[in-house]
Formats: sequence, C-alpha cells, structure tokens
Amino acid sequence: MTTPATITVTAEIRRFDPSQDGEPRYQRFEVEGLANMSVLDVVRSIYENQAGDLAYQFACRIGRCGTCAMRVNGRPVLACQERCKEEMRIEPLTPFPVLRDLVVDRTEIESRLAALELAPKRDAQHPGKPEPIGADLAAKLCNMDSCLLCMVCVSACPAVDERPFDGPAFMLKLRHMAEHPADRGDRLGQALDHGMLECFNCDVCTQMCPADLSPAQAIRDFRKELVFGGVSKR
Amino acid sequence: MTTSSELAVEHCDVLIAGSGAAGMRAAIAAHDAGAKVVLLAKGPRRANHTRMSGGRYNVVTGLNPKDTDDAFFQDTIDSGMGINNYELTRILADEALARAYDLEEYGLAWDRTDVTKYYMSMTGGGTYVRTLGSIDEGIGITEVMLHQMHKRGIRICDFHMLADVIRTDGGDVAGGLVMDLSKGVWRFFSAPAVVIATGGTSQLYETSSGPTINTGDGISIALRAGAELVDIEFMQFIPISFVYPPSARGYTLTEPAHYGMRHFDPNAEAAQLLNNKGERFVLKHDPVRKEGSTRDVLARAIMLEILEGRGTPEGGVFMVPDPQVFESFLKERPIYVKRLLENYGEAQARLEAPIQVMPSALYTLGGVRIDAWCRTSVPGLFAAGEAAGGVHGANRLGGSSMPDIQVFGRRAGIAAAQDALAGRPPEGAGLDRARERAAALTAPIGRAEGVRPIEVKRRVQKLMWDHVGLVRTAARLEETLRAFTDLRRNVLPQLKVTDKSRILNREWMESLELENMLDLAEAMAATSLQRKETRGAFYRTDFPDQDPQWTANLWVKRDGERIVVEKRPVVTLGAAVPAQPLAAAIS
Amino acid sequence: MSGAATLPRNTTRQAEGALHGDIARLLHRFTGTVIVLFVLVHVIAQAVLHVPAFGMTKAAAPWLPVLQSQHWMHAALYFSIVFHTLYGLKLLASELGMRIEYRSALWVIVAISALVGLREVLRYAGI
Repeated sequence: MTTPATITVTAEIRRFDPSQDGEPRYQRFEVEGLANMSVLDVVRSIYENQAGDLAYQFACRIGRCGTCAMRVNGRPVLACQERCKEEMRIEPLTPFPVLRDLVVDRTEIESRLAALELAPKRDAQHPGKPEPIGADLAAKLCNMDSCLLCMVCVSACPAVDERPFDGPAFMLKLRHMAEHPADRGDRLGQALDHGMLECFNCDVCTQMCPADLSPAQAIRDFRKELVFGGVSKR
Repeated sequence: MTTSSELAVEHCDVLIAGSGAAGMRAAIAAHDAGAKVVLLAKGPRRANHTRMSGGRYNVVTGLNPKDTDDAFFQDTIDSGMGINNYELTRILADEALARAYDLEEYGLAWDRTDVTKYYMSMTGGGTYVRTLGSIDEGIGITEVMLHQMHKRGIRICDFHMLADVIRTDGGDVAGGLVMDLSKGVWRFFSAPAVVIATGGTSQLYETSSGPTINTGDGISIALRAGAELVDIEFMQFIPISFVYPPSARGYTLTEPAHYGMRHFDPNAEAAQLLNNKGERFVLKHDPVRKEGSTRDVLARAIMLEILEGRGTPEGGVFMVPDPQVFESFLKERPIYVKRLLENYGEAQARLEAPIQVMPSALYTLGGVRIDAWCRTSVPGLFAAGEAAGGVHGANRLGGSSMPDIQVFGRRAGIAAAQDALAGRPPEGAGLDRARERAAALTAPIGRAEGVRPIEVKRRVQKLMWDHVGLVRTAARLEETLRAFTDLRRNVLPQLKVTDKSRILNREWMESLELENMLDLAEAMAATSLQRKETRGAFYRTDFPDQDPQWTANLWVKRDGERIVVEKRPVVTLGAAVPAQPLAAAIS
Repeated sequence: MSGAATLPRNTTRQAEGALHGDIARLLHRFTGTVIVLFVLVHVIAQAVLHVPAFGMTKAAAPWLPVLQSQHWMHAALYFSIVFHTLYGLKLLASELGMRIEYRSALWVIVAISALVGLREVLRYAGI
C-alpha cells in the first residue's frame, strides 16, 4: 500500500467585509495536504489554521446542498466537489451580491424561484392512491428535480451576462413542472417571460452542471414545444 | 451601530427552527391551520440533513400483500429493541402512507415499475420489502417542500440561528432569541409556540455523515428551556461511508445489503466486508446474517477491526460489491454511482473493484422527549424529526427517518398552531431575559485573549468519537465526562473570537454551537455511564449483553447547572406514564 | 443519464479544460462577422472593379484584385461560411428535437470547416 500523495496549494482568496473594507483585496495562503483535497478542504484548512475571520459557506460537503458554489480560477464550481489545484484564485460566485468574502446573498434567487410558482398547479386534489405516472417519466422528472439550485449554471451562462434572462436553472425548474403530468400551469409562457429565447444554446450550463444535468436541453425542449406544440395533459 | 444587547423584535405565531423536512412540514401544517409562521435556517435553507439523505421512505402501501402496518410497527419495535415510545412508533406506521401521498401531491415522483406501482426495495432490519424511493433522493424531497413553502408565502430566514428559547415567568414559551448571522445582529421573535426541528448531533463526532450545521443546537436549547431528553445515549452509526477524499469522509454509502443481491431478496447475500488480510471478519460477529446484519452489528465489527489494526492505511476496510447489482444500482441511485466514480474511480463505480469503507456517525436516535403531538414538557415548546426522540428506540430501520419527519413534522405544526392561536404571551414578555442572554453570548467577541472555538470543537469531536461512540466503557466514559465538565466550566467562558466583525462570523457561530455541543456531550456521556448493557446501537464493552432490567428509557433534565438522569419505564401502548424508580443526580 | 453502461459524468475538474460552449459561441460570432464583412467588402470591391463610374477609384487601387485572390482570405472565408452554416444548422436541429452531443458536434464541425479552408489554401498553392 502506497502512502497517499500530498500537495502544496497556493490559494489567493478574495476578501471583502462590507462593514470594514472600502474595497475587496486578495489574500494569499499556502496549504499543505492530501493531493485529493477538494477546494473546500483547502478553504476549511485556511479558516482553521490561518484565517479565523474568513467567511465561507458549506454544509453537506458532498455535492448535494449546492451552497458552497464559488469561482475557482474564474470558473463557477462547487467547492466541495472540485479537486484542488496547485495555484488557485478563489472568489465568490458572480453575479450575486457579496455578503462577505466568499458568501453571497441569495435573496434575489429565492424571490425569483418563488415568483415562478414551481409547485404543481393541480386542477384536482391528490387521489389518495398512487398517481398515474409512467416509470420512465417518473425517472425523468426526478432527474430534473435533482437540480441543486446551486447557481453554477447561472453564473457560467454568457446570456445571463448580456441579456434579460433569469438563467438556465430557472428554465430547468420550469421544464420540470411543464413535464409533470399533474401541472396545469403555462410553463412555456413563463419561460418566455423570463428570457428563454435569449439562450445561446451553447451548452456551457450542461458542461458546468455539478449534478450532470442539462438546463440547455430543457430550453431546447421548450423551444420545440413553442414550434410544434406540447403534449396535452389529460 | 447595534450594541450587543440591542434586539430587533418581531412577532409571529409559530417559530420553527430548522429547514429540513420536519421543519418545513411543520411550517406547512401550521400555516394551513391559520398560524403566522416564521422558519429559521441556520445557513442557506438547503443546508440540512434531509437534503443529504438518500430519501428512502418506509411505508406500507398495500403493494406488498404480505406487509401490514402492524408488521411495520413490529419491525420498528424489534429494531428499537423494545424501548421505543410505542405510541409514537404506532403513529409512524399508521400515518406514513398519507404523508407519502402528500409528498406526491407536492410534486415528488416516487420511483415506479409501472404507472401506479411504486418501486420498492429492502432496507437493513425490515422483514418485508416496503421501501419507496425517488432518484432525486433528499434533494427532490427538500425542493418540492420548499416550493410548497413559497406557494404559501411562508417566511424563511436564512442565516438565522436559534440561540435560545425564552420563557415567561410562568414557564411558558415567550419566543426565540435568534442570531442573524448574515448581519451579526440579535433578533427576538416573540411567539407562543416554538418548534425545534434542528436535526441531530452528528457533528459531535470526528467522522460523521451529516451536514456541518447539525451540532445538536435545538436539543440542547430544549434541555436548557426545561424539556427532557430521552434515549440521548443512543447514536446510530452507519457501517459504511466514504474514507476519502477528506471532504467526503464519513458520508454514508448506505449498507452492504445494497451492494449485493440482498438488496432485492432478504435471503440473498450482501456485499462482503474484508479486513487488510482479506478475511470476512463480520462472520465472527454475526455468522447467521453475515454482512446482511443490522447497522449496529456491522458498524461495531468494522470499528473494532480498524481499532485492532487490521484496517487499510487510510483507515477503512474493504467492501466487495456484487457487479450483478450495478445496473439496478445505477438506475436507482445514480447520484451514489457518481460519487463513487468521483471519489474512488471507475472500477469502484461499476462495482467491479473493492470499495474502501469506514463507520461514521449518522443519526441521533434519542432527542427531545415528545408526546404524540410533539409536545414537550414545556408549554409552547415542540420538537420533531431527528431532534426528537423515542420513535425508533435503540436502533433505526433504514428508510424510517423520511416518514418520521413528515409524520411528526405535520403533527408538530398542527399542535403548535393550535396552541399559538389559543393565546399569545403578554407584550414584552421575555425581552429582558433575551437581552441578558444575548449579551452573554456576545462576550467572546469582546475578549482579547482566550481559546479559539475550533480547537475546543475538535477536542470534543475526538473525545466523542473515541469514547462515546461505537465502543464505550465505564473508565473512558468517566474520564470523558470529567473532561466535558471541565471544558464547560473552565474553557467555555474563555472562548475568544479572532475576528471582531460580526458579519458571517463563523468563529462566533462556533462559540454558540460549542455550548450546545458540550451540554449534549455531557448528557450523552452521563447516560452512557448509567446504561449498563448493550442494546441496539449502544455498545458497552464492559456490559456486552442485553439486560432485560434495562428495557427502559433514560430521561435527562437540567436542574440549574446539574444534569439529572432518570430511569423510566418504556411507554407502551395504552399505558399511562407513571413516575418511577432510579433517579441519579450528576453535577 | 442514458444507457445502462454509461456512468454519470465526473464533475470534479470543472475549472480545468476548455469551455466548449464558449468556443462554439465565439467562433459562431466571429465567423458571422467575417461573412457580413465579406459581403460588404465584396459588394464594394466588385462595384469598384466593374462599374465604369468608379473607374478612378479602380485606378487608384491596383492592389484590389490581388487582395481578392489571397489564399488565406479565401480560406478564412470558406471556413467561416461552412462553420457558421453547419453550426447554425446544429442549433436549429437541436431545437427542433434532434439530440446532438455538443462536444463532438463542435469538433466535427470545426474539422469539416478547417478541411474546406485547407482545401482553399491547397488550391491556391496549386495542389
């Protein structure tokens, strides 16, 4: 059995405390540890051993809560999932307002989600027995609903930068409802209202998604529906 | 600039601490009953244990003709080694189905084999196949529930940590003292009803499967407020979890049963477990069920193997899965396959190579003592979910936590709304007490010298893992109890926070957590000393057998600075709860 | 999440490697600009060369016909037309329901466009 490999990481972290700092600054740290450390392991090590005033967010540390999303070398990633690199620049997730250091304010995200009304709009109550949903459709719905709302795709999306577009994640959530057999909402209409047509169809969101989902495909499905019409629900 | 004792005061009917499924279900139920609800999440709302869960849901749907609510009830009692609160267990078995349909109404799509036939699997410890699931697991459950919260316009406060429950002079709940971590200001939510749904104590252990926020805050707060704890010595350890990389260490890999044909057939084999010599060490412990044994037997077997030096250099043992189950495992649990791929490699992800595993602290079996409607002994204080105790007894069936949090979350919400709408605390009640407490909790920021919370936290976690974990014995427990008492008395008042800025001050949050952790650590060590037997997840090397005299529960109550532990008879069906035997006071 | 044997993707190195979508988008923009500019320039150039009224301008720009037959200009133009068309068709097809894998699609289209461009270069070099 070989001993686990180690690595020395140099991390530059963007620091900003709105109650004290006039503007952000970058602070350099060096961390030694196992080569298979995640970015989160590096950040935690810095907090525990070098910078007790570092503000960062995580919870599950295994890629399911989506709350540790941040930019590493310019790319939005989940810190707990991303392998550390020897040289890293670590910054908070754009384009969200920064609360402090690496923690962003998600208030706007939550209010946009609430505005989309993503609970199924039913015209009848639950029948009190298993709802008829095909096995494959159930799997597809669950797949779409494993979106973490981590906002990595929204951060990576070039259309969100340039145009009035909420972002890929919101489209994926709308598509989830669109395909849910019990939902009667006009999800295509909502998607159009929230900038669906602005999407470049570039699949950067598909590439960056830490849950291996494709918001771009959800948008393509909406576009197809726009042209050919959707499947009627009962 | 806010001074340390300045409080922003708000009002609501039901204040719920905890954004997991129990808290959210309580919020939904309370709101639907007409109450004004505020839900507090210690961090972002999606940071909770439910989110991380595999989302397996035990329920009698009628699809398995052999299974009945009675069988589910009996399985839970058997697994709980007869010390469950039978009333709560009965409710769990009876109401699980209605709550499963609720989730479906919220938009969750249970896995199916056919249009109206749910897909079911086995989990460790049950008799019949009855476990539902959805491939989006805990992520799906939390998302659909969040959208129900949005639909109802229920206010969710992220980064709001409940620091204490404040009572009126009469002993009723007056409200909650809350730290708004995002701004570093104190808030007092005046409310006649507070629901504790803050999850468990997994973070008291060095290696755990839960989220970083589960430091047992709510359980400790309830204890401080005058409620009792029950079964707090019982901690469930998952036998297999990831060994590396560091961030994944301790995260559950479910059970060896899922990696072998036993996943479908209770009589088939589970995945084999081997030490560094290639021996199937579990056969020493359970020659009959072998690796299909219950979580507690497996966890202890693996732990002992590692402690005795027959583990891998990384600190685990090997699990040899059966590649035959790969296709269905991929279909049922794609998220787990992805993690295996990313943490270990392709061969392991395809179940074609041995997977390194280690035990890990998973679930708090005990917790705040509640009745059928989640009431504690403090009027206006409720608890539900992992924070509450009694439903599962000495050991929890895999897949029973999901129905538990739905069933009791709803009950807590209904009862809390009822109580809240019946009467409010007088205006201004509790404010002075709240200010006092806020000032005391702000002290670490003012200190120039002292001990960093993270150092104490690490120490507590190591002591708990080593001595109040899978393997416990009198001498170690006594030593550890003294260490905790010492930490609580002498070190806690000396905590210092490096950073004076209050915004998202993690060290400050950790200082608040530490008091809660130490309270619980003491309670867990003290009750462990009392229970002189081995039962379910609780293992004493000096008392390795189950003792029928100990078919009882230990209740814990605070009496000033002292912890009082009482032995109480099990709450069986139809029996009243009499005041009885052994009271041991510990200072 | 496709067939039985396909594992989920390993997403632990997302900050490394190229962003295919950015490359595709920028190339599409660039080639689109090239085409628009070409048409503009071509119309003006042809007018200068063939419309008698612009005779003076033609005399003043003897380099114009030479410029038009530069092999690299042709290569760039052909590359751009082929890339922009094929990628545009890929976008269209994918939105009308065809399942197209974005990574391989990009590289195949770049390869075809590069081959066409290369062919122009070789043609001008007399090969």
